[in-house]
Amino acid sequence: MAKSKKAGDIFVEVWNKPAIFSTLNIDEQDLFLRIARKAGLLSRFCNILDTAQLSDSLTPKVKNHLQGARVVAQEDARMLRWEVNRIKRAFVGSDLPLILLKGAAYLISDIPMAQGRLVADVDILCKLSDIAQVEELLSNNGWQGVELEPYDQRYYRDWMHEIPPMRHSERLTEVDVHHAILPKTGRLNPDSKLLLQDIVPVKEETNIYTLSPVDMTLHGVVHLFYDSDFDKGLRGLTDMDGLFRHFGKQDEYWQALIPRARQLNLARPLYYALQMGVEIVATPVPKTVQEEIKTHAPIQPIDWLMTILMRRMMIPNHPEEKNFLSWLAWFLLFIRSHWLRMPPGLLFKHLTKKWVRKWRFDVRNRRTV
Amino acid sequence: MIIADLSNRELTRILNGPGLRWGSGPFSIHLKNSIPNFTDYLSLIYGGHPVIEEPWEDIADFHIQLTTNSNYRRFWKPQVFFQLDGVNHLAPFPKDHAPPMFEWGWNFSIAGRANHFLILHNAVIAKGDRAMLLPGIPGSGKSTLCAAMVLRGWRLLSDEFALLHPESGLVFPTARPIALKNQSIEIIREFSKDAILGPDFAKTRKGTVAHMRPPDDSIKNMDQVAKPTWVVSPHYQEGQNQILEQIPKEHAFLLVAANAFNYETLGDAGFKAVARVVKESTIFNFRYSNLEEAVETLEIMTNNDKKGLAP
Repeated sequence: MAKSKKAGDIFVEVWNKPAIFSTLNIDEQDLFLRIARKAGLLSRFCNILDTAQLSDSLTPKVKNHLQGARVVAQEDARMLRWEVNRIKRAFVGSDLPLILLKGAAYLISDIPMAQGRLVADVDILCKLSDIAQVEELLSNNGWQGVELEPYDQRYYRDWMHEIPPMRHSERLTEVDVHHAILPKTGRLNPDSKLLLQDIVPVKEETNIYTLSPVDMTLHGVVHLFYDSDFDKGLRGLTDMDGLFRHFGKQDEYWQALIPRARQLNLARPLYYALQMGVEIVATPVPKTVQEEIKTHAPIQPIDWLMTILMRRMMIPNHPEEKNFLSWLAWFLLFIRSHWLRMPPGLLFKHLTKKWVRKWRFDVRNRRTV
Repeated sequence: MIIADLSNRELTRILNGPGLRWGSGPFSIHLKNSIPNFTDYLSLIYGGHPVIEEPWEDIADFHIQLTTNSNYRRFWKPQVFFQLDGVNHLAPFPKDHAPPMFEWGWNFSIAGRANHFLILHNAVIAKGDRAMLLPGIPGSGKSTLCAAMVLRGWRLLSDEFALLHPESGLVFPTARPIALKNQSIEIIREFSKDAILGPDFAKTRKGTVAHMRPPDDSIKNMDQVAKPTWVVSPHYQEGQNQILEQIPKEHAFLLVAANAFNYETLGDAGFKAVARVVKESTIFNFRYSNLEEAVETLEIMTNNDKKGLAP
């Protein structure tokens, strides 16, 4: 591989073809591992190498780093399974279904991409009218609402699609209780009733459900392209790729995906996800689907701009490089995500509040250093 | 080549440019630095460590940069930042505290990343391949006792971490400097004239800190792993009569496990590794006030113990 090659290109090339990892020179291997770690993807890469039986021929230090990453991901999975088990126990006696979202859903329903995937907390979904009951069940079983300033309480309660995180007082793990997949104040507001109607039970479990395959995908897509999760963009994209690959083995999945996206009014973010997936991580998407989703592309200049910005966010830089264009892309997407999140007046108030607080925090910190 | 073989000018040039790589037992580090007085610290305290020269055969475990402010604070109370892979994980220190920033940052990096080891917050010393683990909360005298033992001929494995390899049950040396705090600095200076200490750094979070250079023999043998043989939990207390008493194994388990950074992360492997240490070592509580006597007591105890010696 030529020396002049950009860090991001090396990363994408190896991610899409892990077998070439061992053919890289040692500095390129080093760079790849650093980027992967920074993107939160080292343990997933480790799992990909293990599954393809490619980890034996590596140098001792590379093996150590992979082992370290493997151990951390195993702990995450262990923690997640235990937390789900505890929440399920808290729900016993109520007639509420336990509906898992995101990482917990991927792991408990055995989607291959969840192997080696890092997780921080458990996300669950319930009806808006059941929120109080869920909160009470969790409170009675060791979880407590995280203490927040009144403004933040209001931010969650009045505007968001989730309540403030509930933290377990002994294990310090967090549960995010959602009643929708996008903020109440957002431009788009997919109807949670539709999602709840289609939940599917997890095999060999009682009273544990996930969203249907298409809804699970669209939820991930929304997070990545309509919410502010894009700074973990590459990781989010590989998650989406994992879902497309896993569920995409069934033709019915592809047939249902776009109609459902239209019904939930989420066809635009799905367009971005498929486009980026195909371009960056070679997501196998049937040609007919690729053609059909193009009808949901924005007008040309916006499409062009969004592609550039998203590419900047998804393709990683050298770990030590401070890249102004990447920062600018991040900033523009940040503004966009907030623009989509709440109406302009509210947005202005919210950002002013956050910036004033950040500034105050900085000043306070500086005094003690 | 060792770090001390590089002239101050060469070292500065390398640190400012491509960065210096050196080995520290199972770890290698790639350091870039732009803080001027740090070079002196490095050649004094890490002088005996081997430079890794091109072409290297393996990756660097840690890519670290020490940088300073680029804005107005260059002129007003400048700071030093510790970056691991380009990220500031830690609050900065004042610029003239680059060495403690570096040591604390590297410790932070090892504790967070080296999960192929069970990492115990212990000092570790050894005679031959029989290791003594010194667990202890800050202020218990762990580093002071460790430094004193090392100055009486014990091999330094680490003042900070027992790196326990879960499969083999052996502990890996890093032979990094010993961080002495407050009164310990003067105590160790008086204890032995062989102690090579770096400058004092006053008003750090742990008070005044100074670093002791690891003996050259410990660095030469830093690839030689050792077997946990004794665990001695030190409790320094002024005016205390010396008591070395064995702890029952069932109590010892928590003493060892509670000092691990990543006991839960390792899960089953962590439990088994701790169990093995507890099963195969003799474990003591050690109350003392006189350092000279304390070293002698441990010397006698270990000389009388033939466990783990070749017949």
